Amino acid sequence: MRILAYFDSSHDMPEEIIIAAGFTPMKIMGDVHQPNDPADQYLQKFFCPAARSFLTQALAQSAQWAGIVVAHGCDATNRHYDVWKRHVQTPFLYWFNSPIRNDDIAKRFYIAELKRLIAALEKHFNISISHDNLKSAIAQSNEIKIRLKTIAALRSTKDISNSEYFNTIVACLTKPKNECIDLLKQIEVEWKNRPPFPQNKKRFYLTGSDITYVEWMELLDECSIRIVRDDLSIGERYFTTTIPEGNDPLEAIAEYYLTIPRPATKISLDGRIEFIVNSLRETPVDAVLSQNLKFCEPYAYDAVPVNNELRKRGFKVLHLEREFTPLFDQQVINRISAFREML
Amino acid sequence: MAQQHATSQSPIRIKTLPHAQELKKPMMYYFLRSIIYPKLPWKLTAWTGAGFPIELLWAYNVFPLHPENMATVAAARKQSQRLIEHAEGMGYSRDLCSYCKTNFGAVDTKIKTSLGGIAKPDFIAITNTICDTHWKWFQIQARNFNVPAFIFDCPSYVSGTSDETLEGYIDYLVEQFFDFAAFMEKHFGKKLTEKKMRKVLEKSDRLCQLWQEIYELRKAIPAPYSSAETSASFFPLVVLCGVDVGIKFFEKILADLKERVAKGEGTLTSGKEKYRLLFEGIPFWYKMKFMYELANYEAVVVYEPYTYSFGPRKPLNLSLEETLRHVARLMLDIPYSYNLEKRIDYFKRCIAEYNIDGVILHENMSCRPSCSGMLDLKEAIQKECKIPVLILQCDMNDPRAYAEGPIKTRIEGFIELLAANKKAK
Ligand code: SF4
Ligand code: SF4
Repeated sequence: MRILAYFDSSHDMPEEIIIAAGFTPMKIMGDVHQPNDPADQYLQKFFCPAARSFLTQALAQSAQWAGIVVAHGCDATNRHYDVWKRHVQTPFLYWFNSPIRNDDIAKRFYIAELKRLIAALEKHFNISISHDNLKSAIAQSNEIKIRLKTIAALRSTKDISNSEYFNTIVACLTKPKNECIDLLKQIEVEWKNRPPFPQNKKRFYLTGSDITYVEWMELLDECSIRIVRDDLSIGERYFTTTIPEGNDPLEAIAEYYLTIPRPATKISLDGRIEFIVNSLRETPVDAVLSQNLKFCEPYAYDAVPVNNELRKRGFKVLHLEREFTPLFDQQVINRISAFREML
Repeated sequence: MAQQHATSQSPIRIKTLPHAQELKKPMMYYFLRSIIYPKLPWKLTAWTGAGFPIELLWAYNVFPLHPENMATVAAARKQSQRLIEHAEGMGYSRDLCSYCKTNFGAVDTKIKTSLGGIAKPDFIAITNTICDTHWKWFQIQARNFNVPAFIFDCPSYVSGTSDETLEGYIDYLVEQFFDFAAFMEKHFGKKLTEKKMRKVLEKSDRLCQLWQEIYELRKAIPAPYSSAETSASFFPLVVLCGVDVGIKFFEKILADLKERVAKGEGTLTSGKEKYRLLFEGIPFWYKMKFMYELANYEAVVVYEPYTYSFGPRKPLNLSLEETLRHVARLMLDIPYSYNLEKRIDYFKRCIAEYNIDGVILHENMSCRPSCSGMLDLKEAIQKECKIPVLILQCDMNDPRAYAEGPIKTRIEGFIELLAANKKAK
């Protein structure tokens, strides 16, 4: 099945439309091992390095993809689209403007945007996307979300490394959906039989910018901390809720995307805090790890009020800024270790 | 040579307009009210920012407090660095917008208005049309103050957006205008009258019409008016679109300019205009001397998309529905934040119309949105307009980014390029 790639700073891209169109949706993740020189010809170095890495990947691989959709998110998606349009060779580049509000007005707009996306896909690829296609895409998507939620819940009771969890989600965001379901079935059996949560590890909640490369999760493994809950888009935001399986699939998709846990790129801040606090009430942790990718503005803004609020409510919070690198940053390790010892 | 100009014994000067000092009147009008109104329980005030249709607030009799504008005051009064550092001490990253951090610092230290302080508003009204920063910053402050916030969600008008899609975006914004009306009624029991809205739009249009006429005159050679002055004189467009006080000031400026142009005089010392420049981006508010010092190199900035952006003509004599659609369109389509394709065309047009010899692009460390596509813009101008372009990395409100020596060296190198380019033509 051909890949339709998407650039999404959160979980704003309605993958179900791409599935219903007969493509494999693939979230562009970049490659932390590749230098960003190709993108740096067009984007200065003080732009988010993850976004520059996404462009580097698109410049190198777009020929293998049927097309690319960019979803409205942060200033990187919103402003870099024009740069992509100028330089990335692709037969189909589409701008999908998901709203930042999530009220009824936004819902009507979102549905209009879904219809525009469907019309553009139908026209360009000479296909027809029926309600039945959409409904079965929703069912498939939901199965993945439910299975991910089940196995993610094992993180606080079983011996599951951060990198294993991360790799599983990345697979679900990049591989054909039927393969993902088979993979999740196997993982569920395997993880349920894992030894209990290791006593020498601390339980952490992870928030902040999205992590797009496994090495950062390995670094956390190295520090003997386990992420047992999170609110990342390459994380719980992707599977916390499911798409309502009602009569009108577009209405259901809109309902879902506008009510998932809010990222920093969408209104509202209180909604974000509420989700984190509720998760922390459900799953006791030793501390919260808040991290910000260098130059990622939406999360850098949120970090101050979010962390202050969490501290006010009695949670211990460590905030870090991280570089975009596969190398283990000794300073970060020292800070996490020192914090861990204080717990 | 550029070096000789810089050390010339009789420095070239910017000759200010006879009525330039009258800017004090709209400024006094605004600043006095921004001190007094927040203290009056019967007066409503709102924080707002660039990109928000300020006329909407005036139409509701809401006095607009403008954190960005006050941040520039803090910079001009040499306070911004300490406020920014204070905000960084609160946990805000060095990489965030310095307007925003100046404001966080100003609020937290309760600095007085004359130094860039700003009062707590009754509510907050902002958009996401230019950047994430606006609404992220205002959302945080609304939460701190515990006041209601209204955020207009403006879809991004990216390169290649079809007319049909654009109309869909406008539909969405028009619905939000009605939601704003509901917000005002719910929180403050205020209703908008069409009559008042039209009156405000008329005044706003008059102010903008004058500004556009001023811009027309800037095409004259020698240039009668430079960014050294417009960076201050555009102030009424920022906060006073919809009231009379700025109109009188602009009328006087326009009259001065007409006289100057009729006499064939320029803003630079007679006969000294050699290089006409376009400056893209926000000026360095803590270092306005920069614009004056360009005169030493016989260079004058005759066009700035930034100040031009604040003065679009307003719709008159349209139905309410058409008026709202027009205002919505203006919110999506601002020269300062044009999409890349429009931006390149716009620059090419300005360069031709204003006889521009070179372009300075402010690569603003505070403002990633305005720097997106800047490298493509540079290349397109150089290639298609065949004039030099200088990318100057700095920051509009954070003096720590202004490196005196390197900037001077880069300007001198740029002037040499301009000279060589002129010679080659
Ligand atoms: S890391 Fe932050 S700035 Fe970068 S793409 Fe994601 S949300 Fe945008
Ligand atoms: S300087 Fe740039 S980032 Fe800051 S408020 Fe203005 S447009 Fe937004």
